[in-house]
Amino acid sequence: MNGFAWLRRLQRRSNTWMVISVIGALVALLPSLYILIGLFQKPNENWQHIQQFMLKDYALQSLWLVLGTGTLTVMIGVTLAWLVAAYEFPLRRLFSWAFVLPLAIPPYIAAYTYGSMLSYTGSVQVFMRNVLGWAPDQKYFDIMSMKGAIFVFTMFLFPYVYLITRSFFEKQSASFIENARLLGKNPLHIFFRVVLPLSQPAIMGGVSLVAFEVLNDFGVTKHFGIQSFTTAIFTTWFGMYDVDSAIRLAAWLMSVIIGVFLIERLLRKRKKYNASTSRTSPLSRRRLRGLPAWAACGFGAVIVSLSFLIPVLQLIVWAAWTYRDVLNAKFAELLVNTLSVSALSIVALMLHAVIAANVNRTGRSLFTLVLSKLISMGYSVPGAVLSIGVLAVFISFDEQLSGVYGWLGLGEGKLVLSMSLAMLIFAYVIRFLAVGYNAVEAGFEKTGNRYTEASRLLGFGMTRTFFKVDLPLIKGAVLTGCILTFMEIVKELPLTLLLRPFNFDTLATKAYQYASDEQIHQASVPSLFIIGVGMVSVFFYHWLGEKNSQ
Amino acid sequence: MTFFEMSDVSFHYDKGSRTVLRRFSLGLDKGESVGVLGQSGCGKSTLLRLISGLEEPVTGRIVIDGTTMVDARKFVNPELRGVGMVFQDYGLFPHLTVEQNIAFGLHRLSKKNRAARLGEMLELVKLQDYRRRYPHELSGGQQQRVAFARALAPEPALLLMDEPFSNLDANLRGEIRSELRQLLRAAEMTSILVTHDKEDADAICDRIVYMQANDEISQERNSS
Ligand SMILES: Nc1ncnc2c1ncn2[C@@H]1O[C@H](COP(=O)(O)OP(=O)(O)OP(=O)(O)O)[C@@H](O)[C@H]1O
Ligand SMILES: [Mg+2]
Repeated sequence: MNGFAWLRRLQRRSNTWMVISVIGALVALLPSLYILIGLFQKPNENWQHIQQFMLKDYALQSLWLVLGTGTLTVMIGVTLAWLVAAYEFPLRRLFSWAFVLPLAIPPYIAAYTYGSMLSYTGSVQVFMRNVLGWAPDQKYFDIMSMKGAIFVFTMFLFPYVYLITRSFFEKQSASFIENARLLGKNPLHIFFRVVLPLSQPAIMGGVSLVAFEVLNDFGVTKHFGIQSFTTAIFTTWFGMYDVDSAIRLAAWLMSVIIGVFLIERLLRKRKKYNASTSRTSPLSRRRLRGLPAWAACGFGAVIVSLSFLIPVLQLIVWAAWTYRDVLNAKFAELLVNTLSVSALSIVALMLHAVIAANVNRTGRSLFTLVLSKLISMGYSVPGAVLSIGVLAVFISFDEQLSGVYGWLGLGEGKLVLSMSLAMLIFAYVIRFLAVGYNAVEAGFEKTGNRYTEASRLLGFGMTRTFFKVDLPLIKGAVLTGCILTFMEIVKELPLTLLLRPFNFDTLATKAYQYASDEQIHQASVPSLFIIGVGMVSVFFYHWLGEKNSQ
Repeated sequence: MTFFEMSDVSFHYDKGSRTVLRRFSLGLDKGESVGVLGQSGCGKSTLLRLISGLEEPVTGRIVIDGTTMVDARKFVNPELRGVGMVFQDYGLFPHLTVEQNIAFGLHRLSKKNRAARLGEMLELVKLQDYRRRYPHELSGGQQQRVAFARALAPEPALLLMDEPFSNLDANLRGEIRSELRQLLRAAEMTSILVTHDKEDADAICDRIVYMQANDEISQERNSS
């Protein structure tokens, strides 16, 4: 190489796509940088107090939540994935997608549903007292605790582990497992000695999503009165009005998450088993008979009941009691708000995702590597942390632009950007970019590069090629990305709660507000809407998957 | 005068991976057709990707018709090189019909000229009756003819063909070989044909070049 190689590289790589994605990446990085800088600022007095009396507890509580939920989701998720992938038993096809349905229910909705159902005046205890004439000790119903929170998180987050592991079992493990079967190993031996070690990267991928969700949570821990890191950030920010300490807490949490993120990547890199050498055929399922078949079916039924049927039925009953009071003009406004903020965010997000994915596939370089890491990182930053960063960035934008505002006649020193919807949309884009990006990337991987290359050799540049060739070929993937991000945005609570403009309510914030005002029954109506959106997305996603696998 | 020239081109894929081409040189006169033969994996497809600009060489220089396409400080993007390529697997756009595929590279022509050129190409490859079909509705031989028509339509300065016969049966192969030879002659097309079948190269090309895994090449002039 000579000294001018960079010039040549620039001619080859520099284009509008690259420039936009560089700027996008830098802007997306700002909030996180802002927070990490907080670590190096001089702490105030309150921080001394927080550090001395609270920090250790926050950290421990969060740790227990993550460990407890992580262990249980792996146990349940992997077992279900293995049953569905390797065995044939009654209702298996139904279960294979019913196990995904809990993703449609945000854990905070599940938390207040179960919390209220199991209370002294809730349906479970009332039923026991009035119908069975039995009044058991209150302590058996104490779901508003650490154990209860772990139960709720497990029941509504295990599908992440289930989905990723199942697809690994179905697509990649067949040859290993069939070999082991031919070698005469018994099923338990195969599961523990072959299947588990092989699927470790997939399980890690799933469980890290679970961990990020738990750390992101605000609704469950708040409702159950658990002092986690995220609720602590809220308390410090809104209870003590100590933004500096809130940023510092966020910075600590973020350092831990970056650490976990890096460790997970390292583990995964070293443990990368590559089955791509031979084209593997799908795993053929064994038929279970008699007791094992009914046991598998019964286990599935219990899980589906606890993680979907029971809470949804309860919500429907409550909704039947209250919908007349709740469904009014105000509620229509909620719907409009939710839809419009989602639509704007999805457009911004998918544009970004498509540009980044297109840049990323056209040439591997250090930049594209960093870009893709940054994108996947967004999903791991908890909503509360991201909110503080975004808010700080927008306020400093407003300070910079103060002169411009004055000149426009809006008044000096006014907060314009940080009072607008732009802030919330910006935050959604950073947080859920990974969801859209992964969908688009999968689409590009499926079509490959050959059509793009053919188009370029026929005289079309990157942009025209994109619109004439790439986009028509990946539009299914783009649609999938839109639907998945729609579901995520409608569910998202902490970001929305913290960054929405004054008096701007969405379905999620309204459900939360009803629940925290002890109007649990009213909360069921917006909750059911959220669950409906989630279910439609899950069905659609499943349908697309089926269609593609044919 | 040499019309196409590549000199001392070296290339490897990812950092640290095996060198695929080492100081590779090749020259073609205008209207000449050269066959490149070699074992699987020796770098034939890579050679065509370098010439067309889909890959960037580590060192070396490529000149087409007096214009430097790549050297130490310059890189011309593939869409500006005027190089046509028939891919190993054809790469026909699945969402476009036969005529849309062929007309794809004609965007610089006026509407009238475009229609005329399209008609010419359809006639050349005898696919007038199939113009509204989609690629998956065609046989292997028909797909291959569409791929040729698509690559030839914009009148490229240089035509690259990567194993264009690999998906055809023996009968069709013989027929298409002679058609292709006439076609290239008629258009005075400068072309490079990559194949691992010596018969293909003998039938079509003026000259044959043997490629060995990351080594220099030996040459042989075709008697015909
Ligand atoms: N995208 C890639 N990344 C890394 N290595 C590659 C890539 N494409 C090809 N190679 C390697 O470069 C070498 C040359 O590959 P190439 O496809 O040019 O061979 P070929 O002569 O066309 O073979 P065939 O006759 O099988 O088509 C091979 O060793 C191959 O493994
Ligand atoms: Mg090849």
